[in-house]
Amino acid sequence: MTIDLKFEHVSKKYRVRQRGEEDGKRHPLMRKLQSLRSRTEDFWALRDVSFEVRSGEALGIIGHNGAGKSTILKLLSSITAPTTGEIMINGRLSALIEVGSGFHPELTGRENIYLNGAILGMTRRQISARLDSIVDFAGVRQFLETPVKRYSSGMYVRLGFSIAAHLDPDILLLDEVLAVGDAAFQEKCLQRIAEVKHAGTTIVFISHDLAAVERLCDRVILLQRGQIVTIGTAREVIAQYETALSPIKTTQRDETLANQEKLAEVRALSFQDSSAHAATVLHTGAPFVARLDFFAHADLSDVVFELFFYSAEGEQQCQFTTEVSGAPIHLKRGAGAIEFSGSGLGLMPGTYYTDIVIKPRGTPKFYDWTQYNFTALRVAPGKLVRGKFYVPHEWRLIQDDEGDKSEEAEAVMNRVGS
Amino acid sequence: MNPDISADSIEHGVRETNRRVKIIRPPSFSPLGLLSNIVLLAQYRDLLLTLSAHRVKVRYKQSVLGLFWAILQPLSLMLIYTVIFSLIAKMPSEGAPYAVFSYVALLPWTYFSTCVTNSASGLVSHSQLVTKVYFPREILPLSYVIAALFDFLVASTVLAGLLVYYHVGLTVKALYALPIILVLTMFATSVAFVLSATQVRFRDIGLAMPLLLQLWMFASPVVYPLNSVPASFRTLYLLNPMAGLIENFRRVILMGTAPDFYSLSISTLIAVILLPATYIYFKHVEATVADII
Repeated sequence: MTIDLKFEHVSKKYRVRQRGEEDGKRHPLMRKLQSLRSRTEDFWALRDVSFEVRSGEALGIIGHNGAGKSTILKLLSSITAPTTGEIMINGRLSALIEVGSGFHPELTGRENIYLNGAILGMTRRQISARLDSIVDFAGVRQFLETPVKRYSSGMYVRLGFSIAAHLDPDILLLDEVLAVGDAAFQEKCLQRIAEVKHAGTTIVFISHDLAAVERLCDRVILLQRGQIVTIGTAREVIAQYETALSPIKTTQRDETLANQEKLAEVRALSFQDSSAHAATVLHTGAPFVARLDFFAHADLSDVVFELFFYSAEGEQQCQFTTEVSGAPIHLKRGAGAIEFSGSGLGLMPGTYYTDIVIKPRGTPKFYDWTQYNFTALRVAPGKLVRGKFYVPHEWRLIQDDEGDKSEEAEAVMNRVGS
Repeated sequence: MNPDISADSIEHGVRETNRRVKIIRPPSFSPLGLLSNIVLLAQYRDLLLTLSAHRVKVRYKQSVLGLFWAILQPLSLMLIYTVIFSLIAKMPSEGAPYAVFSYVALLPWTYFSTCVTNSASGLVSHSQLVTKVYFPREILPLSYVIAALFDFLVASTVLAGLLVYYHVGLTVKALYALPIILVLTMFATSVAFVLSATQVRFRDIGLAMPLLLQLWMFASPVVYPLNSVPASFRTLYLLNPMAGLIENFRRVILMGTAPDFYSLSISTLIAVILLPATYIYFKHVEATVADII
């Protein structure tokens, strides 16, 4: 197997300029001159990183923000140079980073295809040969002679991706590109990338979307503070990343933690899919059950259970709670479980982190709080819908002519719909 | 950055045989690096041409007067200077009508100042591109130079009109204008390299440009002939490469005489030394430009 990419003891140092202490007595110009004498502090974005990517392999790189993922990408695509070490690249490399950044609003779609293609390293001849394919993939044929400033944001993004997807390199770098467009287009992008991979292209994929990384990558590198923590199969490394996900702490949370009285505690959280089997992956739009096992150390009255879902970036996505519906919950001492269930999961594909709270109603106290790092839930594409979340819904057809027939049709459609 | 070599010309089906290995190392100076940079630039020639055409298109796309803008700047300056320096100040113009005397100098001067003004902010104004995609960065200032050359050609038509109007006949010596423009382009490119690379760190460059160019123009024989510069002062004066270039451009077009090889060779020598030196400097800055832009 040939090696397509090789990092050998690569380090990258950034100089972060430090503000010197302000001396108010000095002339502003003198202060300015003083600040020019670089008061800088070194920041190592990467430190002694070595790895190899074999030909035809798809490598994923994951890690927190600031772990050095983007720096690796910038080094590979020659945007910036390493401080020490050596990088070997075997073949033509193209990066698909933040699509559409080279568009000019005044130019037409066609002109922008040529401009953007050239920026990405294609020759005029290569672009002309692929023009039809690019236009069809993006679905902008009618608007080819329209200035892109009149494009919708969706068209803009589709055209950008489409140009980049037709680069036909030996090695392809991908950076969060799948975070654009609607679900259907994302799916189309993933398919296109899978095709490119199938054709033997080596891929380096950098993403927060762990589900997409697992779907696409053979091996994954976990980065932390500029160093490689683990290299392994996608499944292993993602599992490690999820368990190591460090709690996000703020002083506010530490204060509220003082209100904790551990009279009940969370034992486990598990999920079931439509087949009523325990599942680690749920599907968007599919029925689900979330089961929360707890233990009460005393008899407790009017208890509230809350289950929160956070995105990988730490943003709260949704909440299941017993607070706003049903009868008050009174617990007897001992073990028990509470089940949240629904007919269609609203979360879009991705990885979510859960957080559980057990508390008495209407007080700032709580019995147990899992502090943002309990379990991770992966949601895979089920029903493909556009937008930010899925809402379970039903529908029926209403037509005015011939009342009896329309009722019939309605009944049929309803069965198909559900 | 010294990519030892980089591959191109990938077509469908032949990728296995056609691969080239590229090694990326920390930046360092080397003469070989200069050569490989030129090879790399040649591979990106389509981008340079597309981007230059794009500069021209965008500039005129939403303007009513379109290409006329390329003519308007030297033309209006010519009118103003003719009124001030010819009608009011009675500036000598070596026997030629002042309008054509000044326009023939304003033409290369406007070319130079357009190059320098636009390309100086070439890197900074494309920061979002520079931090996302790699291509040889010199393409950005170079594309402004090519676009300015296009404007120069458009504005030259007015010169032709003036020559006809004032019955000035071109001689075969006018062909010297071509090497003069070549040297002028080399010099303008050198200045563009230095200013665009330096502006990444010091935005003062952009702010100082209008003043700098104003002073520079009056330090060059644009509105007055070289002859009116005191002889004792002339050697120093000619260290400004623009002086020799503009004076000789005027000589070969308007006077129909051979260029003054003394002043022209000073300008040429400076341009020939500056171009590779500034290119090396530019490439050195390029290696870390994405980190500080």
